Amino acid sequence: MKKLLLALCLTAGFAQAEDVLHIYNWNNYIAPETVKRFETECKCKVVQDYYGAMDEMLAKLQAGAKGYDVVVPTGFAIPPLIKQGLVQPLDKSKLPNFKNVNPSFTNGWYDPGNKFSVPYAFTTTLVGFNDKKVKELNLDTSNWSVIFDPKVLEKIKGKITVLDDSRELFAAALMYNGYQANSTKRDEWKKAAETIKKAKPYWAAFNTQSYIKELTLGNIWVVHGYSSDFFQANIDAKTAKRPFGIAYGLQKEGNTLSVDNMMILKNAPRPDLALKFINFMLDGKNSSELTNMIGSGNPNAAAAKFVQPDIQKISAVFPDATAMKKLQQLNALEGKDLRDLGKLWTEVKTAK
Amino acid sequence: MQNRIQRAAKWLISGPPLLYLLIFFAAPSLIMGFAAFRFGGDYGGLMPLTQTDDAGKTTLLINLHNWHDFLTLESFGRFFEDSIYAGLFLKSFWYAGLTTIICIVMAYPLAWLIARSPKKTRDLLVLLVILPFWSNFLIRVYAWMIILGPQSYFSKVLNSVLAVFGVEPVSMLFSQFAVIVGLVYVHLPFMVLPLYANLEKHDMALLDAAQDLGANAWQRFWKVTWPLSLPGIWAGTALVFIPALGMFAIPDLLGGTNSIMVGNLIKQQFLDSRDWPFGSVLSIMLTLAVLLLAAFAAWAGSRGKEKQ
Repeated sequence: MKKLLLALCLTAGFAQAEDVLHIYNWNNYIAPETVKRFETECKCKVVQDYYGAMDEMLAKLQAGAKGYDVVVPTGFAIPPLIKQGLVQPLDKSKLPNFKNVNPSFTNGWYDPGNKFSVPYAFTTTLVGFNDKKVKELNLDTSNWSVIFDPKVLEKIKGKITVLDDSRELFAAALMYNGYQANSTKRDEWKKAAETIKKAKPYWAAFNTQSYIKELTLGNIWVVHGYSSDFFQANIDAKTAKRPFGIAYGLQKEGNTLSVDNMMILKNAPRPDLALKFINFMLDGKNSSELTNMIGSGNPNAAAAKFVQPDIQKISAVFPDATAMKKLQQLNALEGKDLRDLGKLWTEVKTAK
Repeated sequence: MQNRIQRAAKWLISGPPLLYLLIFFAAPSLIMGFAAFRFGGDYGGLMPLTQTDDAGKTTLLINLHNWHDFLTLESFGRFFEDSIYAGLFLKSFWYAGLTTIICIVMAYPLAWLIARSPKKTRDLLVLLVILPFWSNFLIRVYAWMIILGPQSYFSKVLNSVLAVFGVEPVSMLFSQFAVIVGLVYVHLPFMVLPLYANLEKHDMALLDAAQDLGANAWQRFWKVTWPLSLPGIWAGTALVFIPALGMFAIPDLLGGTNSIMVGNLIKQQFLDSRDWPFGSVLSIMLTLAVLLLAAFAAWAGSRGKEKQ
């Protein structure tokens, strides 16, 4: 990959002396037309490299990868980046469009005052479902009981999957029990673990990899997963002309929220272009294009009017003020908490 | 002179692979062994042994007096304090063992058939056995997700047949059954090939001699072919059992809520819980368990020979 990058740099370098911006981003996380427009506006070239998981990105940057300007990490990965001195503070005077950001998404626990990071997009973790089946069975998906209550689960045994992710699943079980998603109280964890163990026999699988496909095929009817994946599943179901659609909505007890943020790396070759790019992405229209493409949540208040009306209505993409209050961002577990949750998770996964 | 050249040639030929193994097998194993005794870092990984100050100067933190602040048996203790890990090991051994047995039962007739077919067809048949390797492993497992899924024709036909007998429809995907199917499918060629290589070399005159001496078909197989094919069986068993034991992708993709193996647990320690010391402990324990099993098999084998 590095070699490829180098080759790209070189070819780009010959064509246009030195104006190249290197973005290290999630896969499929920027609209191609947005990139093109930025290239015309800044008269520069954009080179992208991708990652599929936060650990992958962290590992690469910690190992000393060079040459990237902008990186787009999820909230919990930001403190390690700051603490290890891998990123540089943002000059807000160069970011006039920062005013567009919805204040609900600024000042996160991971970067108070947004000294280093600016919100890019977000996803919520919630229940997605086969609208036809859920209607037939008269299920209530507005709360977490559809994932955890054995009485409800009896009707859909073997037709549910949950995320294969200890933090996300425990957060959901904690909220179902009326606790905070970020609780580290051991008795509350224990209660959540019991909830999971009781519901587990009714689930088909712990699935993070293929639930879009299973939903689209109609094999699975109710899924604990990510909002942008359900958006994709619904498009796929429509394209395949299935007799059902994939719907999704937030739960009353609360949902987890992952905000992805733009940051500039300390060893960025072109911090000036990086600032230009960040300001460009904070523009309402530019920001809206990603939401229109992948149904990602949009933290940009100026973007709403450019977003397709049917997407605007989805509460997981544009949560209203009441829903917003119930969204919780997961923080990074450290040391003993991390190990103890790992142990509970093993217990839950091996339980009969 | 001649001798020296021979010796030099021997080193030249065996040197590179030896060096390769030393660097890419022994060194990582040692690093992992060391990691098992260290503490986890704040953000996962390992607690650093060195520190770099703002000036870029790196100092080693660990020394002879404070080593106990950096090295610990805690992760090993965690392995033994709860039976869930031992239980998961047993379950993984069971999955891998069952996979090996099914592979032997399925591969033996096939390898025999290939070994006894005419030379021309033989090459074609061997090619067919290795043909699946031409496409990616994950794609083939995904194909099984479709085959075993409830919307597939296979499932539909099976369930309509079951319905005739008044049996409830079965769901095959996301179950232990699916995991075993996947494990057997992926590892079958690794049993067929060594068995075929072995069976092909058998001298047919031995079977004729046995027949002349009055052995029936079963006796000819059990007293002549089977003992001669044991090296092939052992080679196949090693090639199937060990990879199957550490498999994590198949239980992840085909397994239900109750099908994880020790490989999944190790992967979880490194990626999800980011607990490298404990992940290292699990890996070491798995290696030890396999070595122990191999030693036991060797011991049982030598005892068997003594009895004869």
